[in-house]
Amino acid sequence: MKIAVVVQRYGQAINGGAELHARYIAEHLARHGQVEVLTTCSTDYVTWRNELEPGVEQVNGVPVRRFKVKHERDPLVFGKRSDRVFEQLHSLGDELDWLDAEGPTSPALIDYITKHASDYDYCLFFSYRYYHAYYGARASRGRAILVPTAERDETIGLSIFQPLFRGVRAIMYNSPEERAMIHAVAGNESVPGVVVGIGSDVPNNPQAARFRQKYNIRGPFAVYVGRIDQNKGCKELFEFFDGYLKDPAGKLSLVLIGNTLLPIPEHKRIRHLGFLDDTDKFEAMAAADALIMPSYYESLSMVALEAWALGRPVLANGKCDVLKGQCLRSNAGLFYETLGEFIGTLEAIEQNRWLAGSLGRNGRQYFKDNYDWPVIERKYLDMFERLKNEVPGPGGDPLPGWFDRRRQDLPAAQDVLAKLPKGPAGRHG
Amino acid sequence: MPDFNVRSDSVNVEQIMEQIRGRIREKRGVDYTEQQIRELAAVKLEKFLDPRGVRSDLLDQFRKAQPAYEPPELPNFAFEDATLFESHRAPIRWIRKLLMPLLKLLFNPNPLIQALNIQSRLNTINAERDARREAARRQMDQLYYELVHNLVVETTRTGIEVKNLKMRVESIASRLEFNERRARALEGAVVYRSTEPDEPRPQRPAPQIPQPRQQPPPRPQQQQQQQPRYTPPQPSYTAPVPVAPPTQTAIAPPAAVTEQPPQAQGAGVPGEGPGQRSRRRRRRRGRRGGGAAATIMGAPGSAQPGSTGAAGTVESVDQMDAIDRIDDDGSPDSEEMHDAAGEQVEQTGIAEADHAASTAEPPAVDQAPVEHAHVEQPRVELVAPLPAAPSATESSSVAPAEPAAAPPPARDPADHDPQ
Repeated sequence: MKIAVVVQRYGQAINGGAELHARYIAEHLARHGQVEVLTTCSTDYVTWRNELEPGVEQVNGVPVRRFKVKHERDPLVFGKRSDRVFEQLHSLGDELDWLDAEGPTSPALIDYITKHASDYDYCLFFSYRYYHAYYGARASRGRAILVPTAERDETIGLSIFQPLFRGVRAIMYNSPEERAMIHAVAGNESVPGVVVGIGSDVPNNPQAARFRQKYNIRGPFAVYVGRIDQNKGCKELFEFFDGYLKDPAGKLSLVLIGNTLLPIPEHKRIRHLGFLDDTDKFEAMAAADALIMPSYYESLSMVALEAWALGRPVLANGKCDVLKGQCLRSNAGLFYETLGEFIGTLEAIEQNRWLAGSLGRNGRQYFKDNYDWPVIERKYLDMFERLKNEVPGPGGDPLPGWFDRRRQDLPAAQDVLAKLPKGPAGRHG
Repeated sequence: MPDFNVRSDSVNVEQIMEQIRGRIREKRGVDYTEQQIRELAAVKLEKFLDPRGVRSDLLDQFRKAQPAYEPPELPNFAFEDATLFESHRAPIRWIRKLLMPLLKLLFNPNPLIQALNIQSRLNTINAERDARREAARRQMDQLYYELVHNLVVETTRTGIEVKNLKMRVESIASRLEFNERRARALEGAVVYRSTEPDEPRPQRPAPQIPQPRQQPPPRPQQQQQQQPRYTPPQPSYTAPVPVAPPTQTAIAPPAAVTEQPPQAQGAGVPGEGPGQRSRRRRRRRGRRGGGAAATIMGAPGSAQPGSTGAAGTVESVDQMDAIDRIDDDGSPDSEEMHDAAGEQVEQTGIAEADHAASTAEPPAVDQAPVEHAHVEQPRVELVAPLPAAPSATESSSVAPAEPAAAPPPARDPADHDPQ
């Protein structure tokens, strides 16, 4: 079995959610077949600048074939086109222009897929929103399996992606919420799909005491791991934690791990440790009383899964359907939407050891049942087996013609998004 | 949020979240988001402002209704040196120019030209100033509208805050009520003991003058305790029926009888009347008049002047005075402090009584039954945990002539409040 993993960036040092997801999947599927990664020469997801050499190299034993990006992203043009397609009545041409502006525009990659798609049994495309997935899935002619990593943002409301969701052979969803959202927007229930997610290589015995000693951290604390950014809900987290600090009953500190794009509030109970390697990160999570996940938009949240794998409860932003759904399904995390709920849930985890322990145990079990690597690998292999026995469909809709591209009849993406069903999926997904 | 009613091993997050939300509602009232507050404010604005045709989103409406200000084009004239002699007909203009020296011989038109020119400029300046003023006024209007809008938003927020505070006051009031009930339950036990020692006190003989005639007949248990040296009873000792009811009834003074009914009534009524605190203080002072609890209960040696017990009694009285002063402000905290201090005083009394009992000279053998009868009973009650009301057995043994003691007060949910 030969599989192509197509992703916008790829590398050992690239830690973006979808990219890391792709690397893990590629490395684990490589144990069951021949895997090749097709990607670009970019490492920066903002500019898509060509920073790596084109050609083939090995990353952790997996061959990686890189292609140059034709042009970098112009933030002004991209912003203008985003405003157009997200907020106004627009045409298909506007959306295709937006996709071109978003990048990474790599016609060389698409040409390669067009010519060599038949060399692979299946092509796994990661992140539906990028150029490579939209054009690459069409070019792979019935071999495309999509890992959408879709979040509840305006992009999902763009019309060009609906044929993509309907035209691929199968879709590997990250969560039941993501599946429900894509079904609602594209009506692709007939496309084979399974909720898979991603595993994580969590150490068996992280040294929590070593972390405390190394960073001189005493007392109970909650940890946030990830980019410290307004888009990740960190601004709201700081506001809410400030409210929590005013509550004399609360004793938790907040430890922040990750690069920051926001000013960190100065308080003796808020510590920012910067970017840490995996060892320190896992030890920090093991030492913490809870992991806080304040993000509004998540397709899965690997950090939450890692916290559960380490037996730590998660406090998630309830405005994110996926996180809320994960908490409900796993019975391993609480969630908040208001300041009062934030304080109440944090105090509940802090002051009720039985509750925190039970949530952590549930999380560990949930991870083991659903996100352990053998489970993940088995789901992929089962899907390949299933597709092997099915006749490929007609593929995606043809690209729209000249007139169709210019018809200004597509609603604003945010209006489409607003009509999609909200809320977490059922307890059992 | 220290406790949850999740009893099963499998945690149900939905259930826990419901409990947390319930506690939040209980503690803080409804937790409104900024958006909800604005929506509420909009509703109120509609109520107030609709009659005048102003919408709740009045600022936007106002801006829509009021287009950008363009100063009106007021009529004006331009007046320059040659304005008087201008004409669109060239021959006439030429003739006027030719005859201008002649005209200027007849009169001087320059002041007229100058005045009209000034007037023209003044008109322009006034028009510009009016335009600026109008624009400023309109901006101020927008600001006023915005201010009114913000005021309404803030008023709504304040209204919600007041509601929340009311709920907190209710919560605190329930805690206060619980504390007072607990205090009454405690004082009920103590006051009752104070009536008992008061009764025999006038009859209590000096250690050197035994009066076996006034003592109740020694019970078998008391006979066992007729030892040369007094042995304090064990804390686990449950109060027996120490004194035969007829004897107790016979020796109960009228004062004690008159004090009992409010106690019984208070124990039966969950609330407390306005005069109850002062009554409680009077009871406490009455108790103080008879000495500290241990002294009143007749701890050996406590009545001896100059002994350790006496000194402790003075200290206890001082502490109780301090408690009374604290009590005067009527705050819940003071009540709690009072409870704690009261416990401390009584525990001090117990310790002193124990100390006095262990250090006192062995009383005369014939005095021992009387002393034991007065010592054992209160000590058992006082050592018992304070919040719990006396058990039915204890109640019946302590106050056989009274109705059953107040049941243990229901545990107030507010007592779990981590704040």
